Amino acid sequence: MSFIVESSNLTKAYGGRTVVDGLDLRIPEGSVYGFLGPNGSGKSTTMKMLLSLIRPTGGEVEVLGQPMNRSTRRQLLGSIGSLIESPPGYAHLTGAENMRIVQRLLGLDDAQVDFAVKTVRMHGQMGKRVREYSLGMKQRLGIAMALARQPKLLILDEPTNGLDPAGIEEIRELLRRLADGGVTVMVSSHLLGEVDKTATVLGILSQGRMIFQGTRADLFSAATPDLLIDCSDPRRAQSMLARAHGARLEDTTVRLAGVDSDEATAGVVTGLVAEGIGVHGVRRDEQTLESVFMGLTAGGGL
Amino acid sequence: MNALAAEFSKLKRSLSWAVVVLLPIVLVATGLIMTLIDGRGLEDGWHTLWMRSIVFYGLFPLSVGIAILASLVWRAEHRGSNWNALMAGPTPSLQIIIAKAAVISVLAAIMQVIAVVTTVALGMIGFGLPGFLPPEYLAISLLIILASVPVAVLQSWLSMQMRSFAAPVAVAFLGAGFSAFLLVVGLDAAIFISPYAALSRATQLGTATFADTGDITAGVIAAIIAACLLLSTLLAAANTVVLERADART
Repeated sequence: MSFIVESSNLTKAYGGRTVVDGLDLRIPEGSVYGFLGPNGSGKSTTMKMLLSLIRPTGGEVEVLGQPMNRSTRRQLLGSIGSLIESPPGYAHLTGAENMRIVQRLLGLDDAQVDFAVKTVRMHGQMGKRVREYSLGMKQRLGIAMALARQPKLLILDEPTNGLDPAGIEEIRELLRRLADGGVTVMVSSHLLGEVDKTATVLGILSQGRMIFQGTRADLFSAATPDLLIDCSDPRRAQSMLARAHGARLEDTTVRLAGVDSDEATAGVVTGLVAEGIGVHGVRRDEQTLESVFMGLTAGGGL
Repeated sequence: MNALAAEFSKLKRSLSWAVVVLLPIVLVATGLIMTLIDGRGLEDGWHTLWMRSIVFYGLFPLSVGIAILASLVWRAEHRGSNWNALMAGPTPSLQIIIAKAAVISVLAAIMQVIAVVTTVALGMIGFGLPGFLPPEYLAISLLIILASVPVAVLQSWLSMQMRSFAAPVAVAFLGAGFSAFLLVVGLDAAIFISPYAALSRATQLGTATFADTGDITAGVIAAIIAACLLLSTLLAAANTVVLERADART
């Protein structure tokens, strides 16, 4: 698999405080990379380093197969669209005038600008001044400004922040369409639900460290779900298994944590049967991505 | 240059235009009204008029005006994430610096034209002076426009660096005041160190006021031009180096 973004030991410290700590990012080409983490976990700082808006304290970044640094950034940034923190846009100018500035700076033709504006469905609003735009419209104009250069890589920092559910769904839909069109998208959020359904690869950041990176399936297998047992005498089964497995009783179901292999599961069942308890149900708990995420970022204050 | 065209687009509906038009008119008129209140007439006709309008204006209001323009031009970049967007684009830092300084310089040039037009109008209509402004002052105006460039470059840098609107204006006010003092005490070489001094010096040319002897010599003109080119180049280069190394804030 080829990676469009690859970092090694990427680190940023301000004074003695390490904000981003030894990240090895791997963003596969053509993926939608969901970059997750609580507020203040270092997502924006990381994205700014990928764009060379800020310089790393340590480590390196490769984008589009080339090292990204101050001497290469201007050449690489022509193929990277980005939206960092709040959406850009000159408030005293209209949407069309803002797009014209982007067009001039990047040397784009009218068709590229029209395409970007139509993609975000803003063609009806271009005569209005940005100051009169709603947050959602500003967000979409910002994405159009990033898209007009027809980037190979799009880096979006919390693009759904402050949007209503319809706006969020619209951005999700847009990201899917872009990915289908071959653009690699890196999108950050502090809410799992916002990128869960769109992202093909996830990176989870907590206090500046990458605590998980991989596919959704990888994420599920990284955390073992609880074992649930239904039996003829749940009360006695719970007290039997309390010490070894921290068994808890939920209605008539016994919940066991940390039983992580088939052998261990079989051992638990054998033990119950040997004590004359009839076992009629053994299953794994249904796990939501949310609970896995919460478990990984425990105490992150989400 | 694409960056330059983009910069000019940003001036649409900008407050800068109000400054460009009103500031020179108000200040040139103020300079004259002050002398009239003092009860002094225009003893030497157009020359006195020029001294009391443009030379007064050049002491510090012109530098402060350029500083206000620079702060206005940069204010849009400091809002929201416009600065991030600009720095996350392919435009080289040097082009960004030159485009900003160029826009401020052009606004300053228009301001000078308006200052001269105001002076001529006051002379002919207000004071009924015979004839027209002596032609050497038109040539000097071109030199003043050139001397505005290093101030524009410096103020652009200050306004890029400081997010505050007022702080760079205060620097211009103090810098121009101190530079005027250096010229008064005869430290003519200050024009090679302070852009404000170079600009003030240009406005004083041929008036025998402050640092000027009253003679317009090729040597003095060459020194002013050399100072402007030197300061503009050095400041723009230094600004570019700083911008290349700096981390984006916010």
